[in-house]
Amino acid sequence: MNKLVLVGIVFVTLLLGATFLMLGDGVGANDTMLQLGIAGAVAIAVISTFVSIKYIRQMQTDTASGELADENWDGIGEYKNEPPFGWAISFLALTIWAIWYMLAGYPVQSYSQIGEYNEEVAEHDKTFAATHANMDAATKVEMGESVFIVQCAPCHGLSADGIDGKAANLNKRLDAVAVKNAIIHGSNNHLLGSEMPMPDRNGLFNANSGALISDAEINAVSAYVSNGMSGSGADVFAGTCAGCHGSDGKGMAGVAPSIANYNPELVSNILAYGKKGAMGTMPSFNNLNKTQIEALGAYVTSLSSK
Amino acid sequence: MFHWLEKHPFFFAVGVFVVFSWAGLIMILPTFTKASQPLVGTVPYTTLELAGRHIYVANNCSGCHSQLIRPFKNETDRYGDYAKSGEFAYDRPFLWGSKRTGPDLMRVGNYRTTDWHENHMKDPAGIVPGSIMPAYRWMFTKLADLDTAYAEQLTVQAAFAVPYNKPLPAKDGGTNMVKLADTLEGAKASALAEARTVAADMKDQDVKDLIAQGEVPEIVALIAYLNRLK
Amino acid sequence: MENRPLEYDYTVAKLWMISAIVLGIVGMLIGVILAWQLAFPGVNLLLGEGLAEYTSFGRLRPLHTDAVIYGFTVSGIMATWYYVGQRVLKVSMAESKFLMVTAKIQFWLYAIGVVLIVVSLLFGLSQGKEYAEFIWPIDIAIVIIWVLWGVQIFGLIGIRREKTIYISIWYYIASFLAVSALYIFNNMAIPTYFASGGIGSIFHSVSMYAGTNDALVQWWFGHNAVGFVLTVPIIAMIYYFLPKESGQAIYSYKLSLLAFWGLVFTYVWAGGHHLIFATTPDWMQTMGSVFSVILILPSWGSAINMLLTMKGEWNQVATNPLIKFMVLASTFYMFSTLEGPIQAIKSVNALAHFTEWIVGHVHDGALGWVVFMIIAAMLHMAPRVYGREIYSKSLLNTQFWLQTLGVTLYFTSMWIAGITQGMMWRAHDEFGNLAYSFIDSVIALEPFYIIRAVGGTIYLIGMFIWAYNMYKTATAGRRVEANELQNTSPMAS
Ligand code: HEC
Ligand code: HEC
Ligand code: HEC
Ligand code: HEM
Ligand code: HEM
Ligand SMILES: [Ca+2]
Ligand SMILES: [Ca+2]
Ligand SMILES: [Cu+2]
Repeated sequence: MNKLVLVGIVFVTLLLGATFLMLGDGVGANDTMLQLGIAGAVAIAVISTFVSIKYIRQMQTDTASGELADENWDGIGEYKNEPPFGWAISFLALTIWAIWYMLAGYPVQSYSQIGEYNEEVAEHDKTFAATHANMDAATKVEMGESVFIVQCAPCHGLSADGIDGKAANLNKRLDAVAVKNAIIHGSNNHLLGSEMPMPDRNGLFNANSGALISDAEINAVSAYVSNGMSGSGADVFAGTCAGCHGSDGKGMAGVAPSIANYNPELVSNILAYGKKGAMGTMPSFNNLNKTQIEALGAYVTSLSSK
Repeated sequence: MFHWLEKHPFFFAVGVFVVFSWAGLIMILPTFTKASQPLVGTVPYTTLELAGRHIYVANNCSGCHSQLIRPFKNETDRYGDYAKSGEFAYDRPFLWGSKRTGPDLMRVGNYRTTDWHENHMKDPAGIVPGSIMPAYRWMFTKLADLDTAYAEQLTVQAAFAVPYNKPLPAKDGGTNMVKLADTLEGAKASALAEARTVAADMKDQDVKDLIAQGEVPEIVALIAYLNRLK
Repeated sequence: MENRPLEYDYTVAKLWMISAIVLGIVGMLIGVILAWQLAFPGVNLLLGEGLAEYTSFGRLRPLHTDAVIYGFTVSGIMATWYYVGQRVLKVSMAESKFLMVTAKIQFWLYAIGVVLIVVSLLFGLSQGKEYAEFIWPIDIAIVIIWVLWGVQIFGLIGIRREKTIYISIWYYIASFLAVSALYIFNNMAIPTYFASGGIGSIFHSVSMYAGTNDALVQWWFGHNAVGFVLTVPIIAMIYYFLPKESGQAIYSYKLSLLAFWGLVFTYVWAGGHHLIFATTPDWMQTMGSVFSVILILPSWGSAINMLLTMKGEWNQVATNPLIKFMVLASTFYMFSTLEGPIQAIKSVNALAHFTEWIVGHVHDGALGWVVFMIIAAMLHMAPRVYGREIYSKSLLNTQFWLQTLGVTLYFTSMWIAGITQGMMWRAHDEFGNLAYSFIDSVIALEPFYIIRAVGGTIYLIGMFIWAYNMYKTATAGRRVEANELQNTSPMAS
């Protein structure tokens, strides 16, 4: 075997080998576009390497020949050779194919990229629904984590800690700042899935003292809630908040959400409506499907209940 | 025949030109009027948004970001609904880009918010560890050019009949209207009002100070533009 | 008269040679900076926080693309035109005062244009379309410069002695005509300052086309700009310099003919491949794919013609670095004109579009084909325009191997990076949800960004060696006699 061919084989193997190494199992995935893409890469590497080698070998072995034309420019002559047969026949064949394809092949196939997309989505949705019809709790959390990393981590961080207060820390139901903010300004984020606001401090009576909630009481109850419903603000909570949020803070259906812990329903409402608060604004998500939302709910709930 | 052409360069050039240009016409002309009809819900840019768009162009964000969601499941999962021609009817120039060093931004307004952009533009890697996007800190103090944005609005209204001050059909069946002031002062006043609502969600002190003085820093205009990408 | 050797006048060619060297180095230096910025974003602050606005990736990127295309490549085209044109038409620039004066005006106008371009791009004055960023006043200047080139081409042809125009001239003519039409139509815009009665920036303009239409015009332009700036005039060069340097006759006239008309005919139709899966009509995208595939043949036609011209001349390929550059250039040309069409196939494009694989393709063509060819052309010209032998063959060989290594590192790393990136974006996990967040795909590319930056730096070192060698040739090379200049360029070891 010629040395050049060997070099060619080594080059192609290295290039394609390194590509496959990077892609890992991805190559085997059931994805025709990816496979065609890789087939294209293989074709580029192999064809151009070996065609070049063919001509380089001609440089090494052949001799120039043919009938020279009469003309000559600045000393450059020109042979009257015929074009290489393989080249000419490929050109002709491709041209005929192209004319056929544009006039007959393509119109008959009546391809539509949106049509193909719709099929792809329908297919995907069908298998997705079938595969996840009866997910167990652990799988839900696992799926939720995977969706979270793609959709939520850019704001909440990979460990869901809220990146230094830039978004909510989901490892904990509420920070003192957030509670304080809700008490002072009220809250109107559709957390119950409906337009059911919480009043601001001018609407919050402490039944124990018979007066509007005071600054000291706000601080105390904020600490109490953010400490996981424990500590010294218990009496304020019982007097002011328990009426709506329940004595354990776990909320009451249709009245107020849980502020003691996360639950999938709360998460799903936040995803549907977004949330604006002390830290910033969380966008709503309308491109997630039901299963994904449930999974996110399970995942977020699991974070603070470890 | 070809040899004759090679002795008569003028006709040679004519031949080249003919062969070259007719394909160009076929490529461009057929869909020209159809592709430019706005989709329901697509509205022209406000002064502030347009100023933001100019900043996007000046900093060549398109060098790293596309604004074109292709009809593939993985793209619609990541970025939202695929792109439709009519959505770009007011985009001069189009900003599809040809390279995704960073993610697509065509609908970034759906899943990022003002405060996030504020943090991110100041220090991308601080928000998204591993990010290679440059920081844009100067935008927090440099002022946006509202005059040029207004000049462009007047130009497109006059030259291309872009429908400012006209009720336009909205997606929910109602109508939308984008106002365009008669005077530069008016345009700047409404841009400032819009800037205030954006800046209300921001924390940067320079930005707050400038807005209080009646000035609009670049970052506010840029975020107004990013928020409108939906 | 007919038999006496002509005294060709290379004054203008020399000016363009200098500008090609300077702009080549500047453009590629910026490319290297961009490459390091993607590997280490801290490099965005290379001149400190205060100047961050002017050194950040986005601002510098058009400066790179425009400097290498409109700076380096166009200068190379002009330098070779003002050399090759005279010789194959057998007429000296000195014979026409008019041509001489307009040629100088053209160059100096261009030099002023370059300065304005650098300043305007640094300040973020841009029309926002790739490769057409320049603001409208500069666009007008560019059209004038280009028209002046047309005056040169047809002026020189008008007073030619050689009746039949040589292949290289075909390609220069095609480049001139196509780029004129493309550039004007894509840059059509209304200056807002005038349209609004004097409001805002005088440099700002708004495109005549919107959205999808703007994209169509842009990529009709963009694709053919690649074709008629980075391909056609480079073919003009190789058709002259390879046979001239090697002393071999062109392998086949018929092949030249078919390849030329095939290329001019097919190129335009292929532009749709930049808009695959966009909101352009499907038939247009398909047409782009189909014609891209056909385009392999006319492209390979020229490359094969050149390689076959060297048939039986392996000794020259081995010993003459100029021939080495040109043979490798043809090979890279074949590589990128196979890679491009395959990337244009719809399902391959679905994977490749928006990724580094495209950037890899660009630089196969740019570094392996365009730059190699211009370097070889100008090295061949140097002894003839300066009357001195090439200063150092060993430097030349070093440069050749450095740059070959550089381009290989560049395209292999971007090839792998691009396919990886494309795959990660598409991948779904075992649940059917996206498997990777975007930033995962950014982080995965880091090693490849570093390899590319290293490759680019090595390539740039080659450019510096070339500049040094050219400078020394012009100032210190041994003086040569006319009879040493027939074919193989004289060079000191
Ligand atoms: C009148 C009923 C009512 C009372 C009294 C009330 N809340 Fe609420 N609270 C709500 C409702 C309803 C919501 C959900 C509002 C929304 O959708 O944003 C809510 C939301 C909250 C939130 C926001 C949760 C989040 O994730 O942002 C916090 C914190 C909170 N309440 C704490 C308290 C505390 C502490 C008290 C007592 C000092 C209190 N609430 C008293 C009805 C009440
Ligand atoms: C653009 C940034 C952003 C994205 C993307 C985002 N969030 Fe948020 N999220 C926030 C911010 C900011 C808050 C805090 C709002 C506030 O101040 O109360 C928040 C709050 C929340 C809360 C409420 C926390 C609490 O204790 O009240 C939950 C739950 C949540 N996000 C879940 C998610 C999930 C699940 C996703 C992904 C599907 C997600 N977020 C994506 C920015 C974001
Ligand atoms: C060097 C390339 C580069 C440039 C230039 C660049 N970006 Fe980015 N951008 C990125 C990368 C990489 C990411 C993904 C990592 C991240 O979120 O920071 C990103 C992310 C973003 C995001 C978040 C999108 C999302 O879905 O999370 C926004 C918004 C954004 N960039 C806006 C801009 C704007 C506006 C500009 C110009 C002023 C710009 N970028 C310039 C590389 C760049
Ligand atoms: C030392 C040599 C060079 C280096 C290191 C280099 C580096 C780069 C880098 C880093 C980019 C940005 C890619 C991205 O956005 O991901 C780029 C883009 C580009 N470069 Fe170069 N470059 C070099 C030489 C050249 C030359 C000689 C040409 C042309 C003649 C060229 C033409 C381009 C073009 C057209 C693009 C835009 C590609 C696209 O948008 O797809 N480069 N280059
Ligand atoms: C047969 C010839 C060729 C064909 C069919 C072809 C095809 C393509 C395709 C399909 C793309 C990618 C479009 C996308 O998905 O974004 C592309 C990009 C590009 N090609 Fe080629 N290519 C060819 C030859 C060349 C050559 C010789 C060069 C010389 C340098 C070149 C330079 C470029 C550039 C600069 C781009 C980037 C454009 C951008 O900014 O997006 N191509 N080409
Ligand atoms: Ca590009
Ligand atoms: Ca321009
Ligand atoms: Cu192209």
